[in-house]
Amino acid sequence: MNAGTAKWQRNVFIASFIIPTLIFFGVFTIYPVVQGLYYSFFEWSGMSDKKTFIGLDNFKEMLHDPIVWRAIGNDYFLVAGKVAGIMLLATFFAVALTRFGFRLAGFFRSIFFIPNVISVVVIGVLWNFIYNPQIGFLNAFLSLFTKEKVSITWLGFPDHTIWMLLPPAIWAGIGFYMILLIAAIQSIPESYYEAANIEGAGQWKQFWSITVPLTWEQIKVSILNIMMTTLNGSFVIVWIMTEGGPDNSTQVMGSYLYQMAFRQFHFGYGASIGFVILVLSLITTIALQRLMRHDTVEMS
Amino acid sequence: MITKKKIAALGIAVMLAAVSLAGCSGSNKGESSNKPSNSAPASESTSTPDSGNETAKLTGDFEIQYFVGGYGDKWWKKVIADFQTANPELNIKESAGPKINDQNRPRWIGGNPPDFVYIDGPVLNDRQMVEDGQLEDLTDWLKDAKNIDGELITEILAQPAQQFDGKVYNIPLVLNSWGVFWNKALFQDKGWAEPTDFPSFLAVSDKIKADGITPFIHTGKYPYYINGSILFPAIVTANNNDFTILQDMAANKVEAFESPAVLAALNKIVALRDKGFIDKASIQINHTDSQMLFLQNKDAFIPNGLWLPNEMAKDVPEGFDFGFIPSVTQEAGGKVVANTSTATVAIAKNGKNKEAAKAFLQFIFSKEQASQWAELSGAPSNIKGDISSSNAPSFVKDAAKYLTDPNTIVIPTITYNADVDKAMMDATDALTINTITPEEWVKRVTDVVKKVSK
Repeated sequence: MNAGTAKWQRNVFIASFIIPTLIFFGVFTIYPVVQGLYYSFFEWSGMSDKKTFIGLDNFKEMLHDPIVWRAIGNDYFLVAGKVAGIMLLATFFAVALTRFGFRLAGFFRSIFFIPNVISVVVIGVLWNFIYNPQIGFLNAFLSLFTKEKVSITWLGFPDHTIWMLLPPAIWAGIGFYMILLIAAIQSIPESYYEAANIEGAGQWKQFWSITVPLTWEQIKVSILNIMMTTLNGSFVIVWIMTEGGPDNSTQVMGSYLYQMAFRQFHFGYGASIGFVILVLSLITTIALQRLMRHDTVEMS
Repeated sequence: MITKKKIAALGIAVMLAAVSLAGCSGSNKGESSNKPSNSAPASESTSTPDSGNETAKLTGDFEIQYFVGGYGDKWWKKVIADFQTANPELNIKESAGPKINDQNRPRWIGGNPPDFVYIDGPVLNDRQMVEDGQLEDLTDWLKDAKNIDGELITEILAQPAQQFDGKVYNIPLVLNSWGVFWNKALFQDKGWAEPTDFPSFLAVSDKIKADGITPFIHTGKYPYYINGSILFPAIVTANNNDFTILQDMAANKVEAFESPAVLAALNKIVALRDKGFIDKASIQINHTDSQMLFLQNKDAFIPNGLWLPNEMAKDVPEGFDFGFIPSVTQEAGGKVVANTSTATVAIAKNGKNKEAAKAFLQFIFSKEQASQWAELSGAPSNIKGDISSSNAPSFVKDAAKYLTDPNTIVIPTITYNADVDKAMMDATDALTINTITPEEWVKRVTDVVKKVSK
C-alpha cells in the first residue's frame, strides 16, 4: 500500500465522520440562520405571499424601539443575576456536599437536581402559583408573620417584576451546575487538601487556593453556558410567567421576537431581533472568554 | 503537530458557534418551513352558479380549513356532511384542528391555500389577511347573494360584515358578546342589587367592598378582556351611543382616539381603580386564574365573553348562577352597549374552487344552520332567527335575546390593527395599576397609530 492510498483512506475515514454532522449542522443551523438574516431585510407579515425588501430599515427601527432596549437590558439583567445566583449557590452546595463529608450527601444531591428534570414550562406554572397574590404560597407564608393578610402582587410591579423571574430561573439551574462542579471537585486528589491541612490552611484558604483554581475550567464553562442559555432561552420562562408584561416590563429579546413575529405580524422585524440575539450572544461569549482567560492549572 | 492544533482550534470554534447559533435558530424554525406545499388538491369546477340561489352541480375538490377551539367541531362535521349529501359529486376535504392555522400557514404563504377558511383562533387575524391580499373580495357577490332558501344573505345577518376600506372580505358566523358577569345566587344571598348602569354598578361595588369581597377582577395578562367588556362599550356610551368612533379607531384615525369620549371612558376605569374596586391580583393573572377566583366568589364581577359558562363548565360550583349584562358603563337610563365578539368565514383569494366556496357560504347562512350552530357550538349564530325553540343552552338564548333587543346598541365586529390593539392593551394595564394617566394612555396609543398609518 503506497502512501497516497493510505492518506486517501485516512481522509475518507475522517470525512465519513465529519460530513454527516456538517450536513445536519448546515441544514438545521446554518440554513435557518441565513434564512432568518434574509427575512430581516424584508417587511413581511409572516402570512402573506408578498414580501417587501426594505434593506436595513428593520434594524434602524430597532434603534428607536424602547422595548428592544428594555428587552436587552432585561436579558443582561437575567444573565448577571443567574450567573451570580447559580454559581454562588451551586459552588456552595458542591463544596458542602463533597468537602464536608455529609452523610446525606447523596440524598441532597438528588434533591437539588430535581428541578433539572422538570420542564421549564412546569417550573413557570409552579412559580406562577407560588407568586399568586390571592392563593399563592409566598403570600400565605408571609401572612403567618403579619397581622393582616399579605397580598403582594409579585408579578405586577411596574418596574421590578423582572427581579421576580430570577428565583425560578436560579432554582431551576442550580442542580446541573452543582453536579458539574461536584465531579470537578471529586477529581482533585485528596492529598492536596491533606497537605494544605498540615500546612495549617483553613477551609476558606483551601477553597480559594485549591478548589477554585482546579475547577476553573468547569466554572468557566458553567458561566458561559448560563449566559448562552439565558440569552437564547429565557423566552420560555418569561412567556409562561408574564408574557413580557405587565406593560412590557419583563420583555426579553426572545419574547419580544415572538410577540412581534407571531402576535403583531411583523415577521421581518422578528427575524431582525433574532439576528441581534445571535450577534449579542457571540459578542458576549467572546468577551466573557477573554475576561475569564486564566492560566491552565495542571494536576500532576 | 501545528496542523492538529489548528484543526482542534477550528473544531472548538465551530462547536462554540454551533452552540450559540443553535439557540438562535429556534426563532427561525417557522421560517425554514415556510415552503410552499405541493400537495394542493387539483380542482376543476365545472359548475358556474351565479350569486343567486340556483343549485348548480358542483364537482372537483373543495377544501375547508376550520380551527377547532371553544366552539368545538360538532357543527362543522354536521354541516359539511349535509353539504356533501347535497353535492355528492364534490370531493370535500377538511383541514381542521386546534393547530390548523399554524399547520396551514406555509400553504397560505406559498399561494396554495384551502378554498374556504373559518377565521378563529389566535393565529389568524382578518384585518391582516385582508392587508396581505389573502382573501377574496366578496363585496359585489354579497350584494345580491341568496342562501339556499332564497333569502338575501345580507338581510338575514344579525350583524353586517366588517368593511375594510369599503370592501367586504369575510362574513361573521358567530355572534357572541363581551360583558360583565356576576353570581346571581351570591347577590341574592348578600342582598346586593344587580347592576343596570354605571351608578348602580359603583353603588353595589361599594357595598360588596364593605362586605369584605373584592368587587372586580380581570385578567391583566390578557387586557383585551377589560378593553372589550368595559373600555370599548364605555367609549360608545360616551360618544352618544355611536359606535362609528370604534370603526374610526380601527381605521387608524388619530382624531377618534383623541375624542373626549375616549378620555371619558378611560376615566371610568380610573374611577374603578381609585375606589379600590379592582382586585390587585388582576394585573399578573391569566384569564383562567381570574375566572377561578370569580367562581370561588372571591370577586364579585368579571369582564368576560359569553363563552365563560361553557368554558368553565367543569369548575362551576353547585348553586352558582351566572348573571350577565353586556355593559355596565352606561349612565342611568342609558342604553346597554353590547360589544360583539365573532368568528368569521371567508374565501381564499388563491382558492381553486371558489364556486364551491360561494355555494358553501349560501348553504351555511341559513336559518336551519343558525339553529344547529347554537345547539352544537353553544354560541349564538349571526343569523337572525328565533332559536327559543331549539335545544341551545339557556344562556345562549338569553344572550341572543339581549343582542336582538332594540334597546341594545350592538357594536358590530371590529378588528383593530394588531400594533394599535397591543398598545391599547398595554396602556390599559398601565392605567389599572396607576402608572399612567388617561391622557398618557391617549398619547401612547396615538403615537402608535401615527406610526402604523405612515
